[in-house]
This record gives sequence, C-alpha cells and structure tokens, in this order.
Amino acid sequence: MDDFESALADLIPRLRRFAHGLARDPADADDLTQQTAERALKSRGSWTAGTNFNAWAYRIMRNLWIDTTRSRQRQAQIFAPEADGEPIGAAGDAENKVELGYLMRAMDRLPDEQREAVALVMIEGLSYAEAADVLDVPAGTLTSRLVRGRQALMQMLGQNNA
Amino acid sequence: MRDETIDEATVIAWIDGELDAGRAAEVGAAVAADPALSGLAEAHRLMKARFAAAFDPIAEAPVVVPMAAPAPVIPIAQARAAREARRKATDKTAAKPRNWFVPGAIAASIFAAFLFIQPIAMPGESGGGINDKATALALSAPIAKALDRQLSGKVGAVRVALSFRSKSGQYCRSFTATHLAGIACREADGWQLRYAGEADNAGGDYRQAGDDAVQSEVVAAMIAGEPLDAAQEAMARDGGWK
Repeated sequence: MDDFESALADLIPRLRRFAHGLARDPADADDLTQQTAERALKSRGSWTAGTNFNAWAYRIMRNLWIDTTRSRQRQAQIFAPEADGEPIGAAGDAENKVELGYLMRAMDRLPDEQREAVALVMIEGLSYAEAADVLDVPAGTLTSRLVRGRQALMQMLGQNNA
Repeated sequence: MRDETIDEATVIAWIDGELDAGRAAEVGAAVAADPALSGLAEAHRLMKARFAAAFDPIAEAPVVVPMAAPAPVIPIAQARAAREARRKATDKTAAKPRNWFVPGAIAASIFAAFLFIQPIAMPGESGGGINDKATALALSAPIAKALDRQLSGKVGAVRVALSFRSKSGQYCRSFTATHLAGIACREADGWQLRYAGEADNAGGDYRQAGDDAVQSEVVAAMIAGEPLDAAQEAMARDGGWK
C-alpha cells in the first residue's frame, strides 16, 4: 500500500462511523462506506498531497450521501423507539445494536444540514473549524446547525432535563 | 446568578472543547454556580457520551479496505486444473516420494496457519489463544456477524471472497478480516473456523499471507458442486445459511 492507500485504510473505520451518523440504517452505512472508499481511490488525483486528507475523504462521503438521498424517494420513516427490529448478531451486543438503531433513527429525523454537522462534530469528534471546512460553510453556520441539531436530538431522546 | 452571555451554544462549545482557556474557565465557573446551566451542560454531556457509546465501537471494528485490486475470487478452476495436472503426473510417474510431499506440505501449511490465529480471543476468555473447548473454533461476534450478513465482494468487517456448500452440507465462506483469513462453515451454533491463516492486506490484494493456493486446495477439497453465484448467495444469507 502506498501512503494514500494507507491513509485511506486508516481512516475507513472512522468513515464507517461517520456513515452510521448519516445513514438511516447500518446496511446503508456500509454501502456508503464502500462507495466512498471506491470513489476516493478513483479520484485520488483530486487530492493534493499536504492538504487535509481526512477532510477530503469526509467530504467525498458526505457528497455521495447527498447524491444518494436526493436520487431516491425517501420513504417516510415513523419514529418508533419501542418497535425496534430484531438485532442481528450475537446476544452480547444486541443491546448496543438496538441503541445504535435508535440513535440512527433519531439522527435520521434531523434536517440534512443539522445531521451532518452533528455527525462530524459530536460523533466524529472533528473541531468546529474542521467540520466547517468539510461542509464548506462559515463557522457561524456550522455552529448554529450543530446547536439546533443537538437541541432537536435532546428533545427526541428525552434528555432535556435542563 | 445566570450569566446572560452564556447561552446553550456556548455550553455546547465548552463541552466540545472549542473555547480558549480563559473563556472555558469563565464558562466552567458559571456552570458550576448556576443549576440551570449545570443541568444543561450535564444533559449535553450525557447525550454526547450516549452517542459515543453507541457509535465508537463501529470505528473500533476491523474493516478490510478495498484498494485498487478488485475482491479476490479464489481461483477454484485453477486449483482444480492444477490438481488434475498433478494427478496425471502422479499417474505417469507412479510412486515417486515427491508425490507425498505435496499433500504433506499442504498439511504443514495448514498446521502452521493455525498457529497464527491465536489473537482471536474467545468470548469470556481473557487469556487469549486457542483452547481445547468445544467452542475453540467458533468465530467471535464481529466476524460471525459479517459472515452472516455480507455478500461476496462487499466491504465491511470482513471481506468475503467466496461462498459454497460443503460436502457435509453446510454453507461455508472464505473470508479475509484484518488479521485473520480463512474458511468458516455455518454450524447450528454459529460460524466455525475450518481453515485459517494470517491475513495479508498489504499490497491491496487482501489475500491470506503465504500461499493462497493452499486455501484454494482446501476449498476444492471441501466444496460440493460449484461456488454459489450472487443470487444463490443472497438466498442463502436470507435463509440464515441453513
């Protein structure tokens, strides 16, 4: 593997986590991760060595996700916390699967621009400046989307004990 | 007393570590002094921690990355042809000692390969290493789940190259994960390792370290009929590999 491939390989697990922040369910998230890896390899010529590789790769994933959501009719999802499907996999992590699915559906209810801000900062741990760079928006815009998204999530998740 | 300059965005920025030291100290003091602010800060901190607990395991799970090379498909046809050629050679040259070395070498490789797999810790085992229990060859949850769900050639916790029915009737799949590569078969109680080696993800070819041909030989020895095509594989997956 060359440097580019190593950097991508190292980032894939985090990209996959970001995909789970954007996508509606884990299967979509894994598809998105695969598409992003393929797209990144194909368009490696558009990455300038010395620039922020992670931001470049996150941007690819985010743009692919926007294309995906635009190109398909999103079926109305009813937010049903109790009606979670059967968790797939071993019993040990069933609980986490349910929780992840629950949080993913809460994220799914956010407007796109709030969801991506929350996913980059609260889930991925990017700084506000990095997230604003990925999304190509001013810092103030990023902050307000982030705050509104988190307020909405808190309300959905019933953690508004402030 | 509530500091009017501290709004929810500021509290969130404080939790995210986005404030400079001076401002962070101010906000910290204000939060400590104001029950409403400290409740708000606590709620946001809890929510952030809740997302971290659910999402961080994803970033810690092993993933095999598709690089320039496409997913490897174990060349069964080639392996068969090679075997056929060897068989013919054997027939011609009768009982030359060399004929024993080929399967002997394969057996040695399989044995050696098993020595590599100790990093997969079994559930509930702290010491690691392969044990002598009935569950010794059971694959742990991340790999087992990926084998349950992933179709060949897709990226995920593992990369599956090939699915097939074994002569004893189970579904089996050859796979490459981050460190472990091999063949697993679906038994009633889950995926059991049938052949294993150290994954070699360097060079972007996602093959088992050492000689792939050995794995091909193992598949060729196990397989009943032909490998599953995409439709058969999807059907097998949807049927729970039973």
